[in-house]
Amino acid sequence: MTTQTPPAANLSRAPGIEANPFGDSALMLGIADDDPEVRRAGARRLRDILLEVRPYGVLNLVAGAESLLVEFDCLAVSHGQLAQTIRLAVAGLGLEATGPVPGAKDFVIPMVVSEEFAPDLPGVAEELGLSQEATLEALASSVLTINLLAAAMAPMMAGVRFPGQVSRCAEPRTDVAAGSVMVAGTSAIIQPFPGPTGWKVIGRTPLTVCDIREDPATSYRPGDRVRFTVIPESQWAELEGQFLRPAPAADQQPAPQQEGGTHGSEA
Amino acid sequence: MAAKPEQAVTLSISEAGWLSTFQDLGREDSEFMGVPCGGAADQHSAATANILVGNRRGAALLEIMGGRFAFTPSHDIFISITGTPAEVTVGGVPVPLWQPVCVPARTKVVISKATGGMRNYLAFSGDLDTPRFMGSAAPESRMGFPQRLAAGQQVGLASRYRGFSQPYLGQPLFRLPVPVPDFSPDVWTVEVVDGPETDRTPGIRELLSGSTYTVGGKSDHVGLRLDGPVIHPEGLGEIVSHGVPIGAFEIPHGDELIILGRSRTLTAGYPIVAVATKASLPLLGQASPGRKMTFRWVSQEAAVERWREQQRLLCALEERVHNLFAAVGLPFADETDSETPPGTRAA
Repeated sequence: MTTQTPPAANLSRAPGIEANPFGDSALMLGIADDDPEVRRAGARRLRDILLEVRPYGVLNLVAGAESLLVEFDCLAVSHGQLAQTIRLAVAGLGLEATGPVPGAKDFVIPMVVSEEFAPDLPGVAEELGLSQEATLEALASSVLTINLLAAAMAPMMAGVRFPGQVSRCAEPRTDVAAGSVMVAGTSAIIQPFPGPTGWKVIGRTPLTVCDIREDPATSYRPGDRVRFTVIPESQWAELEGQFLRPAPAADQQPAPQQEGGTHGSEA
Repeated sequence: MAAKPEQAVTLSISEAGWLSTFQDLGREDSEFMGVPCGGAADQHSAATANILVGNRRGAALLEIMGGRFAFTPSHDIFISITGTPAEVTVGGVPVPLWQPVCVPARTKVVISKATGGMRNYLAFSGDLDTPRFMGSAAPESRMGFPQRLAAGQQVGLASRYRGFSQPYLGQPLFRLPVPVPDFSPDVWTVEVVDGPETDRTPGIRELLSGSTYTVGGKSDHVGLRLDGPVIHPEGLGEIVSHGVPIGAFEIPHGDELIILGRSRTLTAGYPIVAVATKASLPLLGQASPGRKMTFRWVSQEAAVERWREQQRLLCALEERVHNLFAAVGLPFADETDSETPPGTRAA
């Protein structure tokens, strides 16, 4: 269902959309391209288009790294009908248009780095060939975009300016505390609730990022931007348990903003 | 309908079974936010329980798993119990499952001795007072929303039911056309369609349809773990983590077969060698540890047809209930009721 991919020559041409049945009530969408970055960007764009268009019969969307699972009511549409609707929507809106999501919000997330809260920082620094300070500086100087909400609404963010990829734990941790700031590859994620993870823990935020008593339970959505700022442990107590809200235009102050050091020190 | 005002009823739970929770059909449109839909493992039984008391299918109800569950209402109430065969008594008198049941005020209801499957659903005419997360009463324990019921708990119910008397019998005989699943076979047959890695796994078709699998002890709303023969796909590289549908048959690296449930982790990178049909998911939701099952391959078309038939039977039941309740003056939720809960928005 896709044309043979031309070798990287004509990127302006919309790449083919692959649509494969995943059971009687789901369709797996992806972009046929040799470049993983094109596939990742395409998957994000597909999700944004489907959230906007809401094709008839669609019940749920699950974002993967390079794909989008579309769950639908099989009495309302068939796999083929839905795939065609999606192709038409993409043809109309364009797969390449990827600016910032309209209405994207900015967040500044304070984090405390201590031996207890950042057990993997020495290992991550060593893997990257940086000092621990430079590792944190690379994180704090990065503007991250929330790509998707992973299990339990965990914000998964791409774009950490690490000079290399951070590996996952060989042996996943079984019980990581809520608020843990974790990295893998060049992505970061925050653990919203205590639980297991294979990501490397390099800090902890005193803020509550997800609270089911709030409506919505998180104030962030995919497309929002995040910056981390390292705060001294002495500020933990006063921020602990506060619900994470967007960085204000001016009025509220979610975190004492110590402007994250000099910028551009890329080690 | 000349609807009576709602009356505040208190349900006093005296025994809570092994694991009983508030429940409904699950969250809608929550998965792009990283929250699995969750909801009743046996959606057919849960929807039917609500239909039988005149509620919307997605109304909050109770899911009861094992042991003995007992409660006493402060006022007359109208209930139904569905799911796996069990013993149900009202004031010590046995009453049928899969039918509406009148319960007089201050009369104890006991549900016990479930056999065959593992879950019962208890629906009440009216609205249960329960917290909701993302519009749903369904538990999401990973996010701190367990919704578990405990002995001694008092649950509120707002009901328009005001008793129903039938001059000759204690319990009315409605004779409703209820599609009751058959939980009696020793080995359950679950229908499946091809998964994305079926063709890459030579022999998997014959293996799944020709072997008997046993549900393992570590099974829950997240997934059923089956003991039985597996084959690993050939020549597959690393699979990039992607969204996984309910009912996906995953074969992780070990020799294990996992069928994903409604509270699954939403993304994974394991091969999927089959996917349970939508129509067979309610049966899987009743499978308890030790349950033996085998699989039958069907086409996509046959799978959709089976689901369409299930839904047709539920719609027919719904229509009969509405006509009957309107005729005898029992309350029922009208499509046009203004207080539409968040769960019923068209997708």
